[in-house]
Amino acid sequence: MHGCRDMQGFALYPFDPPGDISALRADLRGWLAQHQPQGDVVERANCWASFDAGFSRALGAAGYIGMTLPARYGGGERHPLERYVVIEELLAAGAPVGAHWIADRQTGPLILRYGSEEQRQRYLPGIAKGKLYACIGLSEPGAGSDLAAVRTSARETAEGWRINGQKIWTTGAHLSHVILALVRTEEGSERNAGLSQLLVDLDTPGITIRPIIDMAGNHDFNEVFFDDVLVPHGALIGTRGEGWKQVTAELGLERSGPERYLSSHALFAALIDAAGSDPEPALAVLIGELAAEMWTLRQLSMSTAAKLAAGEDPMVEASVVKELGNAFEQDMPRRVQAVIDCGWDDENDLARLLRALLIASPSFSLRGGTREVIRGIIARGLGLR
Amino acid sequence: MSAAREMLCDTARAVFVEAAAEGIAPVEAAGFSLLLVAEADGGFGGDWGDVNAVLAIAGVAVPDLPVAGLILSGLGEADDALHAAAAVSLMAGAMGEALGLSIEHVNTRQQFGRPLGKFQAVQQSLAVMACEVRAVEAAVAAMAKRLDTVGLDAGAANFEIAAAKLRANRAVGVVTAIAHQVHGAIGFTREYDLHRVTIPLMRWRGAHGNDAHWAQRLGRQVTGFGGRGLWEAMTARAD
Ligand SMILES: Cc1cc2nc3c(=O)[nH]c(=O)nc-3n(C[C@H](O)[C@H](O)[C@H](O)COP(=O)(O)OP(=O)(O)OC[C@H]3O[C@@H](n4cnc5c(N)ncnc54)[C@H](O)[C@@H]3O)c2cc1C
Repeated sequence: MHGCRDMQGFALYPFDPPGDISALRADLRGWLAQHQPQGDVVERANCWASFDAGFSRALGAAGYIGMTLPARYGGGERHPLERYVVIEELLAAGAPVGAHWIADRQTGPLILRYGSEEQRQRYLPGIAKGKLYACIGLSEPGAGSDLAAVRTSARETAEGWRINGQKIWTTGAHLSHVILALVRTEEGSERNAGLSQLLVDLDTPGITIRPIIDMAGNHDFNEVFFDDVLVPHGALIGTRGEGWKQVTAELGLERSGPERYLSSHALFAALIDAAGSDPEPALAVLIGELAAEMWTLRQLSMSTAAKLAAGEDPMVEASVVKELGNAFEQDMPRRVQAVIDCGWDDENDLARLLRALLIASPSFSLRGGTREVIRGIIARGLGLR
Repeated sequence: MSAAREMLCDTARAVFVEAAAEGIAPVEAAGFSLLLVAEADGGFGGDWGDVNAVLAIAGVAVPDLPVAGLILSGLGEADDALHAAAAVSLMAGAMGEALGLSIEHVNTRQQFGRPLGKFQAVQQSLAVMACEVRAVEAAVAAMAKRLDTVGLDAGAANFEIAAAKLRANRAVGVVTAIAHQVHGAIGFTREYDLHRVTIPLMRWRGAHGNDAHWAQRLGRQVTGFGGRGLWEAMTARAD
């Protein structure tokens, strides 16, 4: 034999949040029973795309947004794994968390880590209140998977940064207050050098937001045009020229969360309820398989969150969660359709959830990095590139 | 890993090297049937985390020897489900080895003037395989944690054992197929080590409950919880 390789696997990080986690769950479940809108069941699937500012403000007021931020910025000073418990509960319940989702998950932590004191004071309290929403300005028409091809430029002038260019696929730009844009600040720079991050208020003159309607008929993402947009020097976040490094860290936050396996949970729950207490064998088998996969994904996701909370970089683990979670969620509606008898146009909850998720599912392995890009990151982690 | 478990693993490795040549006798002589027996009863007072660690090594070093049965014999009549749980640990070890062998192979074997590992198609296949292996490792760790929480009461860990065995079973096809594909013909020889883990993996998938068996059981348990109840049960069992 080539010797034992039992030690080479990832160490599984123990998920040990401080405090009384059962109480935290019980409180939140009680709060949701009072405050979660009882709207359309379809809104509960893919719920981190469901935008409900009223719900976000109530959630913020209850202390469930910006939980890990310092108190002086309106945060809750809670442990990152307590926040993890809260977001998995929100997702499992299908709560409409879309409005504040990006600000809470990545923009807030990024401002805390790289932002100036002025930026922190200006943005973080609004984020924690569930009132200030952010969007992600990475993709451009010529820069998709190849993000280093970003061309939108910002030139430093005496008055501030002058931005010209275009972002695309910007989810929620039309509903957000700020965009965190990756731009080229060094003229003539190439690839991942010379990039910086600017935090831009979306009501700045010269910004035009145009809707792009997706194949489900929804207006979620947009084109964002910058036409000689002037923003103050203080819009630069972090270090000039370090944009690539900062974005990489941001993507780690973006890829590792429980939303990668829990966003279709409403369909699974509806399937279980439709199966009844004495399910036919094919249905029992499918439910068993899905439960085993979901339970396993939860373990992987919790371990990744614990590693992140311990201050380590779980880039590869986060990619494993995203890859397996996307596959799980993408296959689920197809597998459900293969065993249940329901017409495309049926109006019961299960049929409508199924239809909505079949249509939404192609995007799961595109947003946040395509399947091929994610597998490439994993391969690099295995030492293959 | 704790220092005690580290020592246990070192012992297991040494004993399994002997056992590879001489059969199960050295494992018996080393007292592995006492691993789960309480210290008060003259045993080692080990937990399922220890069993898992030892069996992951056994799954690589001596996949054909009945090490799991020997360890469980210390409990007297061990529940069938504990044998299934033990199989998952063996499978996790063997899958890790299949992945390790595959990485080593594609980084050394050259074709078209480059190591195979430089080709994107090969990289993507191995990424898929690695995800399956990580999933099984995570499942087996969570199952061990549950078994230790409930004092090895297989009935109280029925959800976790079913889910872990089912997840491991479903990984076998992907892991064995990709491992063999990236190895080419050399992996299909008796001389090369790959079959020493892939054939046992094929065998273990059907042993102690195949996919259909565990999926039925788990599916019926989950419909018993109900749609919302599944999440409540899953979180309550782990908090
Ligand atoms: C619902 C949704 C929401 C989004 N929200 C945002 C957002 O808020 N902000 C934002 O900035 N972006 C957002 N995006 C954009 C997303 O990040 C991009 O779609 C993604 O990075 C892929 O870029 P692309 O669409 O240009 O595809 P391309 O890069 O053109 O890729 C097309 C296909 O080719 C494959 N491919 C590309 N290069 C390679 C290679 N080297 N090797 C192998 N295969 C390759 C890809 O994997 C993919 O399968 C969103 C996308 C979707 C679908």
